[in-house]
Amino acid sequence: MLIPRRVKHRKQHRPDRSGAAKGGTRVVFGEFGIQALEHAYVTNRQIEAARIAMTRHIRRGGKVWINIFPDRPLTKKPAETRMGSGKGSPEWWIANVKPGRVMFELSGVAEPVAREAMRRAMHKLPMKCRFVKREVGEA
Amino acid sequence: MADVVISVEPRNEFGKGAARKIRRAHKVPAVLYGHGTEPRHLTLPGHELLLALRTPNVLIHLQGEGVDEIALPKGVQRDPIKGFLEHIDLLLVKRGEKVTVEIPVTVTGDPIGSAIVDQQLVTLAVEAEATDIPTGVEVDVAGKDVGFVVNAGDITLPQGATLVDDPEALVLHVIAAPAAALPEAAEGEAAAAE
Repeated sequence: MLIPRRVKHRKQHRPDRSGAAKGGTRVVFGEFGIQALEHAYVTNRQIEAARIAMTRHIRRGGKVWINIFPDRPLTKKPAETRMGSGKGSPEWWIANVKPGRVMFELSGVAEPVAREAMRRAMHKLPMKCRFVKREVGEA
Repeated sequence: MADVVISVEPRNEFGKGAARKIRRAHKVPAVLYGHGTEPRHLTLPGHELLLALRTPNVLIHLQGEGVDEIALPKGVQRDPIKGFLEHIDLLLVKRGEKVTVEIPVTVTGDPIGSAIVDQQLVTLAVEAEATDIPTGVEVDVAGKDVGFVVNAGDITLPQGATLVDDPEALVLHVIAAPAAALPEAAEGEAAAAE
């Protein structure tokens, strides 16, 4: 599963959930992609589940790119704990995904196969997504 | 390549309020610059521009109040979700002038067996006459086996176009289909992060 090798601070504030993606909104590496239409915190488990769903469908062949990385820790206090006594312990690693972001890319397979593979991957992700294709020759 | 004639209006109001007002009227704020001239702020009709931009490196003939120029789209800003045009940068060009543009590389055919095409460059930078920009180049990989390599210098460019990119730059190669690979960061590294 994806996880940072080293972090400067173990516990961070929760990432900002507002706005749209500033970059990474186009398919640049592959031919097809999954674009987020809503904001979400995507955990490393969800990223891995989506990748597995995609690669199992395309079997041999095709190349997958993961354009997001779960670099933000989220903390959680244990159940039935009184408030106070400091911040909870890190529980998840998440990627802060904003609308418009192309999260996964795929190439080397026919479009119907890519559509189905990505449909399966979208079911593993916590937000509304859509299938996108690389635009040809736009400035 | 045929020119697309688009009527333009000069733009005198600036800032996000004015730009949003223009977009609400289904128009696109634009800026025209080049050849050392002062930038000119324009408003273009949204639908016509959207249709024109479907052609890569389309040559746009701008006509309007005090404007009669030809230009190339230099930078296009779109809304990432809805896809409408937010703003466009237009580069002033002259007939007969050579310009450097990115043309798309299209792959045709399928390689042998389960081999796949790994395309490293999806566009090639070429120099061509502004009025005769090629729409793209095709690379045929039909029947090619693992190890087939195409560099930028190997591609036959349309007449009048010269390559600007490094001729040794890898455009695509045919590789064996990879088995389901794991992401780079291993699970064992979790401990280091804690």
